[in-house]
Amino acid sequence: MATKSTTAERPRAAAEPGRLALVCVLGWLIPGAGHLVQGRRDKGLTFLVTLPLMFAFGLWLQGRLFPFEWSDPLVFLGAIADRGIGLPYVFAWMADAGAGLVTAASYEYGNTFLMTAGLLNFLVILDAFDIAMGRK
Amino acid sequence: MPQLPASHFLYMVVYALLVSLVFATLLKDELRERLRTVATLFAGFIAAALAIGWLMYPFPL
Repeated sequence: MATKSTTAERPRAAAEPGRLALVCVLGWLIPGAGHLVQGRRDKGLTFLVTLPLMFAFGLWLQGRLFPFEWSDPLVFLGAIADRGIGLPYVFAWMADAGAGLVTAASYEYGNTFLMTAGLLNFLVILDAFDIAMGRK
Repeated sequence: MPQLPASHFLYMVVYALLVSLVFATLLKDELRERLRTVATLFAGFIAAALAIGWLMYPFPL
């Protein structure tokens, strides 16, 4: 009787640690790059356009890029989420953007866009990692 | 810098669209399936937001 194939039985591509690290670091720095280097062009391009656009929208809505504030756990977690987007965060930081305007009606929306862009990029990095491991 | 539109609903629609696009791209490989997932997730986001908005309507801020 034929048995049903499970994920554990499927052959996996050899995943070298160096290549895995490259995929993850590239994917963090440039959203979608982890997919692009593995030949997943359509997915990579979608992430490359969508995530920085979401981040830019957050800045336009007067959102704030949170600092690493150890005394306030929620701000600290927000800071981690903000940094998930990689290079767009660095560019915004260098341009002194993301100061945030608390009195703006769109302030909370801006924060949400900024943090969600970073968190979604973490998911995208995990997806690229799975592809590199041969799980997808 | 262009002036911000003062529409919270518009912000929510843009947010729902972008998040739906990313999730559908993560979940589906085929374009047709992906577009269907975008539409389903987007409709779900909007419907849930409107429903929760109406449920919260009687409560004061």
